[in-house]
Amino acid sequence: MKSKSRLFKAVDILYICMMVVPLICGITLKVLTKPPSEGISITGAQIYFTIPMPIQDLPVTESQVNSLIVMIMLLGLCLFLTHGLKTRDISVRQHLAEWIVESVDSLVKNSMGEYFANFSAFIAAILALSGFSSLLSLTGLMPPTSDINVVGGWAVLVFVLITYYKMKCGPLQYVKSFGDPVPFLAPLNIISEVATPLSMAFRHYGNVLSGSVISVLIGTALQGLSRTVLGWLPGFLGDIPFLQLGLPAVLSIYFDVFSGLLQAYIFAMLTMMYVSGGFPMELYFERKKKKAELKAKD
Amino acid sequence: MQTLDVISVNLWQILISLGNLCLLFFMMKKFLYKPVKNVLAKRQAELEEHYVAAENAEAEAKASRDAWEEKLAGAQSEADSILKKATDNATYRGEQIVAGAKEQADSIIRIAKSEAELEKKKAEDGIKREIVEISGALTEKMLGREIKAEDHKALIDAFIEDIGDGND
Repeated sequence: MKSKSRLFKAVDILYICMMVVPLICGITLKVLTKPPSEGISITGAQIYFTIPMPIQDLPVTESQVNSLIVMIMLLGLCLFLTHGLKTRDISVRQHLAEWIVESVDSLVKNSMGEYFANFSAFIAAILALSGFSSLLSLTGLMPPTSDINVVGGWAVLVFVLITYYKMKCGPLQYVKSFGDPVPFLAPLNIISEVATPLSMAFRHYGNVLSGSVISVLIGTALQGLSRTVLGWLPGFLGDIPFLQLGLPAVLSIYFDVFSGLLQAYIFAMLTMMYVSGGFPMELYFERKKKKAELKAKD
Repeated sequence: MQTLDVISVNLWQILISLGNLCLLFFMMKKFLYKPVKNVLAKRQAELEEHYVAAENAEAEAKASRDAWEEKLAGAQSEADSILKKATDNATYRGEQIVAGAKEQADSIIRIAKSEAELEKKKAEDGIKREIVEISGALTEKMLGREIKAEDHKALIDAFIEDIGDGND
């Protein structure tokens, strides 16, 4: 340990700062700009300022800023984990980095097949971004995943990927695939095609948002209960909501940690299943073979 | 400060979020996957190298062990042959010695026998002579006169010869 150079340690500290400083900045921003809330108020993200854009103005909101925070933190984490990689006598963080890469690799290979092995980094990105975004609510910040626009963007990207892989056998084959079992089911197939990204986005967003809403509701209810039951206590003791201890923490573990990570996993699994399921692999390889034969003939 | 509605769809926000995910994908690829895969590949190569080295070392060790075993087997046979030679030599020498001893003993016995014979002969001669003298004296006394020793000597000799022969 002592053999590590000063530079190495300095870079380490820089990376750790990359993980910690954005978080502190975000919390500070939240504390400074949060309007005093009275009672129950369930709203979307706060708008810091609005940039005029064509079609629709772009409001820069809490969820945008928090997404950026999560991304900077993840970048710092990646750099920290892969700092000072060695082939032997490896450190704990390298073990962790290798474990992450290998387990995501095997997850992708198991559920998508060898052909999609390159998807590993993309799935890891989804898992990390979604998971850490949901976990951000542990620090009191608004989780970006409770904004439909954020999750919607990911779902649109997944939709693009699904369509790209379905188009691999040519646009004609893609159009044909809608009348798959029987042609008159084509409208239903089109609806289900469009429903895929919508359902993915709403599932993720709804789960995280509902967790936040329930937490707020229960927190407010416990505050009221505390005021009525323990209001007789003298002085400032009566103002402390003692009943808010305990139950919200347990709920937070369920809604913020368990549900958030579960939704990240579900989103990643669905991505893998839709992309690999929509890709007509046998047909694609057949076409490829035929094309190669044609080329050989020429 | 304003807030958004709980559900408010904004095209640009969706695009930004899409871009964010793409960006994170490239970040993951460049800063997590590439270095880790690199180091894994490097380790694999090193392992291969070690395996090859270990196999070489094992083959070498086996070869030297075989050589030593061969040498050992050679030494064993050599020792065996030396021992056999020595045993043969010893047996031969022993036999020779025994034979020599036997011969010596035989010769000793032979000499002793001949000496005994000689002694016997000498004794016989001595007895003969004494008998002659005694018989001469006896005859002298019996006859009362002196007889010529030479006359009767031949007679007595013949007589004694007869006795000796009868004794044998």
